[in-house]
Amino acid sequence: MIKVKNLTKYYKTPVKKNFISDLFFREYKNIKALNHVSFEIGDSELVGFIGPNGAGKTTTMKILAGILYPTSGQVRVLGFTPFEKNKDFLKQISFVMGSRNQLIWDLPATDTFLLNKEVYNIPEKGYKKMIDELSSLLNCRALLGKPVKTLSLGERMKMELIAALLHKPRLVFFDEPTIGLDIFSQETIRDFIKRYQKEFGSTVILTSHYMEDVKSLAKRLLIINKGKILYDGSLNKILEKYSHQKKVTVVLDKPVNETEIRAVGKPLDATSTHITYMIDKIDLPEKVRLITKSLPFSDLTVEDETIEEIIKNFFKEET
Amino acid sequence: MIKSFKNNLKIFFLYSKFSWKTTFQMRLGVIFFMLGKIFRFVLFFFLIYLIFMRAKMVAGYTINQAIIFYLTFNIIDTASQVFFREVYRFRPLVTSGNFDLVLLKPFHPFLRVLIGGVDFLDVFMLIPYIIITFYLAVHIAGVSPSSLFLYFLLLCNALVIAMTFHIMVLALGILTTEVDHTILIYRDLTTLGRFPLEIYREPIRGLFTFIIPIGIMMSFPPYALFNILSWRLLIYSILASCILLFISLKLWDSALKKYQSWGG
Repeated sequence: MIKVKNLTKYYKTPVKKNFISDLFFREYKNIKALNHVSFEIGDSELVGFIGPNGAGKTTTMKILAGILYPTSGQVRVLGFTPFEKNKDFLKQISFVMGSRNQLIWDLPATDTFLLNKEVYNIPEKGYKKMIDELSSLLNCRALLGKPVKTLSLGERMKMELIAALLHKPRLVFFDEPTIGLDIFSQETIRDFIKRYQKEFGSTVILTSHYMEDVKSLAKRLLIINKGKILYDGSLNKILEKYSHQKKVTVVLDKPVNETEIRAVGKPLDATSTHITYMIDKIDLPEKVRLITKSLPFSDLTVEDETIEEIIKNFFKEET
Repeated sequence: MIKSFKNNLKIFFLYSKFSWKTTFQMRLGVIFFMLGKIFRFVLFFFLIYLIFMRAKMVAGYTINQAIIFYLTFNIIDTASQVFFREVYRFRPLVTSGNFDLVLLKPFHPFLRVLIGGVDFLDVFMLIPYIIITFYLAVHIAGVSPSSLFLYFLLLCNALVIAMTFHIMVLALGILTTEVDHTILIYRDLTTLGRFPLEIYREPIRGLFTFIIPIGIMMSFPPYALFNILSWRLLIYSILASCILLFISLKLWDSALKKYQSWGG
């Protein structure tokens, strides 16, 4: 479905000197946004594409979608060269950007849907069915007739998703689809993407700074930094490899003194009723034994590190 | 080919319909806009009348002919605003990054960024201009069906030139995110075409004919109507619009390759 080989992209940016030079003899330098990136993505895969700000995630996706012109390298998507903007190619893809919108601001979202129906030549029957299906998946039927400008960010995102997926694209790019949304809306959008992908079998590439999005949706992960792919593999493997610690929370029966708390280890957080430790996986059995022996507790929970912490570990060790 | 054209036409009409719906949500704004346009039009008529109170001919033209020059300018200027209004809204589309979403649609981006926002308020102004021009034209001695046809042909040619200017503005908008000032320069320059080219001395007249084709756009159609346009200049005007169209499309393609998709 997607084949990328040695993809490189430079952005030209002006070099600041002084007023006269900037005005008459401006010089430019090339910023390498992507540096010989190579990967392949198969049919119906759901791939998480992560990395810090400015790592090259969005640039890669925009090149794959044909928005940006690559400086060098080979890109084939669905058998097409994206930048040629072949209509048959564009009809099979969709790009959902959390911070952009295609809806007509002053009019109800249904007007944009109607437009997309003509743009993508969707038959009347299929169009109605798709609106029904997507609006029930997102539980937003009541919003369809409201002017877009009156919708909240979360509501607007639901409409954006319908507009973007009406034509059942084979390949969907989600660029931070949950950005700025409250936790409930984030969950709704995540569930929707999961169910949509399962139902329609589309290939999905997802970027998000909310690791929860990636964790709950993607099985495969591409990690990029400074324009280079650092990791391409399964999410579970990276979780195993870079998760070094466990979070242990102890609920106390009665208050204990500092010496007793520190006998187990340096706590992450301690109150009169709760103590939280971050314990290296290798020391876990011994430390748990120590806790059960020395601390008066009513409850003890052992949790994995959050995915954010694991990814932080990855970047610390790999960069 | 025909299917694709039909589909594009459908999309164009849908965009126009949405533009109509959006415009008429602000009814008070519509009223003030129309009043302003009518006031400006009437004021200029009054100015022409004042000039011809003192002289029977100006630059060799009668009052009716001078009015036709002015109406021709208005027809071309208004028609280009009717069709290319969306160009005026291009800068926010680029700076917000929403232009990305236009590039993802399976149709030519011009359908959205060039002609995707038909201005219906100007349509209302265009109709009386055309009626008055036709009325005056048939009352001028020497106007024949063939000169009327050439007049219409050169009006279309002027619209093609106006379109090429607008495409160049769009391309510059992609390269520099600058649209507003460029379009104002274009408007100011075309405003000079309200009068026949004869009122300008050389080399300004030559400049407006051969370098900045304002004369071709605004003065050549009335020349054709009054049977004073040579075949050489007629061919030159069509050739000029073809060359400008070619250059503007090349500039657009090149700008798209350099598009950086601002805003993250």
